Amino acid sequence: MLTLKNISKKLGEFHLTDISIEIPDGTYYVLLGRSGSGKTQLLELIAGLNKPDSGEIWLDGDNITADRIQGRGTGLVFQDYAIFPNMTVFGNIAYSLNANRTERTGMRRRVESVARELNILHLLDRDTHHLSGGELQRVALARTLITRPKLLLLDEPMASIDASLKDDIKRLLRNLNRKGLTIIHVTHDYREAVSLATKVGVIHNGKIIQEGKTDEVFRRPVNRFVARYSGIRNFYRVTFRKESGNWEAVCNDGLTFLMSEDEYPETGLMILRSDDIKILHEGPSNGEDNCFKGKVTEILPSEYGMEITVDTGEVFYVDVSADTFKEYPVYENSEVWISFSRKAGVALHGTS
Amino acid sequence: MNRYGPFNWILLILSSLILLFLIAPLLGLFIQTSAGEFLETAKDKEVQDSIWLTIWVAFAATFFFAIAAIPFSWLLARKNFPLKGIVQGLIDLPVVLPHTAAGIALLGFISRDGPLGKIASFAGINLVNNPAGIALAMAFVSLPFLINSARDGFAAVPERLEKAALNLGASRTRVFFTVSLPLAWRSIITGFIMMFARGMSEFGAVVIIAYHPMIAPVLIYDRFTSFGLSSARPAAVLFIIVALAVFTVLRLLSERRRPVMVKKEYADS
Repeated sequence: MLTLKNISKKLGEFHLTDISIEIPDGTYYVLLGRSGSGKTQLLELIAGLNKPDSGEIWLDGDNITADRIQGRGTGLVFQDYAIFPNMTVFGNIAYSLNANRTERTGMRRRVESVARELNILHLLDRDTHHLSGGELQRVALARTLITRPKLLLLDEPMASIDASLKDDIKRLLRNLNRKGLTIIHVTHDYREAVSLATKVGVIHNGKIIQEGKTDEVFRRPVNRFVARYSGIRNFYRVTFRKESGNWEAVCNDGLTFLMSEDEYPETGLMILRSDDIKILHEGPSNGEDNCFKGKVTEILPSEYGMEITVDTGEVFYVDVSADTFKEYPVYENSEVWISFSRKAGVALHGTS
Repeated sequence: MNRYGPFNWILLILSSLILLFLIAPLLGLFIQTSAGEFLETAKDKEVQDSIWLTIWVAFAATFFFAIAAIPFSWLLARKNFPLKGIVQGLIDLPVVLPHTAAGIALLGFISRDGPLGKIASFAGINLVNNPAGIALAMAFVSLPFLINSARDGFAAVPERLEKAALNLGASRTRVFFTVSLPLAWRSIITGFIMMFARGMSEFGAVVIIAYHPMIAPVLIYDRFTSFGLSSARPAAVLFIIVALAVFTVLRLLSERRRPVMVKKEYADS
């Protein structure tokens, strides 16, 4: 278990402020934040590359705050991999074993074993200058994993590799985590968090602004920043009211959504995930909580398939899978009905 | 006039003038020295001894001072400490000092009454008029070349590589010898050769410390003042040829070591 207790650090004009996190063993923790938010700095504090001004870092019951980098049991994979250019792939992977004066045959066996696991056995005798981004990353991972770290720290592991390799790396990281390795993965891309994390922390301006299980964070963002950061594009400034025992959210132009929770503030923001909205081709049917007629104003390809913009007076962004779009195509300027459950609308209490 | 334009022509003329200024005296030196004079000087034991002394003392000075100067260069590249700017300025001081003044300053330090001279006296060594004193004089004026070049080399090594090595369990010493030093190697070798070259060609500081035994620059000066230009010229030609040969060999040896490429993304960060 990694525990950060009230960690603060001043780095020039930038401050990491009062960061407290608990990461149980076996967790895949994704720290999500924009560039300059302090996520890499936090990772480097955990790895011991820098020391906090205040606060404590505990790993498996030991206070490692002041421990040397070498003795912390954390393995850090840098964003640019920091592969030693003066060594072969083998030399890079075996570096920590050399440091520990591991006997030569044992060293070869261990290097080959980890290289096989990462599918880079064929690269061992190559120098590192002509390796691709994906290969370099595997070398960096192998070099760290061979140290058998208690905690694997990954700084933007997907940032420098081709999109086609990202799935392979995700699979690899997921497998490592399933084998029990605790991973902290820093990224600016919420999609990495969605596909990998069991727990997510969102960091902004040096502060953790929301933390929790992945689903909780993405379904119930605490404010507009987290919502936007988790890929939500539908925001509505609303007034909440209770009518006939049901809560409703009323937009400025009068559009009214049925809501599901027991209590709401007077005013606030309502958010709606794009994939929670359906397009109805047959028109409204009974049992739909929120159903509105609008005009399709734009259709753009997205990673999910298509993103369709529907104007009902308020603008809705709707994600439709490629298969669904193929089966039930819609066209720009055509009229459609959209619908979403009353549980899909989430009220944000903070509006920052 | 054509596609090059007037600006390029002016550049060409100015550059040619500078090159001519550098080459012409040397060329004149070679042209005015007859083969007979040259061969006779080459056989001269005193000349041979002085050239050999110059080479080995300059090399020894460079080698032994490099042992301390290289880690010091790493310190300058990596660490911030109080008065660092002043320390950097002190390192460059020998470059701007008149070398005879440097020699006088050093003489006060290494003569029998000076602090280092006293210590050497205990070991029965008089540093004045001694190869050890010559080495100190050479090192005093040439150290900035090694330190500055090595410092720039270390500064160009991405610090993250060193941090990655520490994260992999290596000690600071091991990181220095396996990561920092190999990656800064080319700059260090360049600095080493520059220091060696500067040491070999030093006259002003050495002549104050040791007129005898004579290093080649002192011998050339001695022949000039005692016997005139015609006597000094063949010795100068021989020394220049030997010096050029030594540097060429050193350069070739250092080139044979495969360059370590630091990827651009590392270098930029």
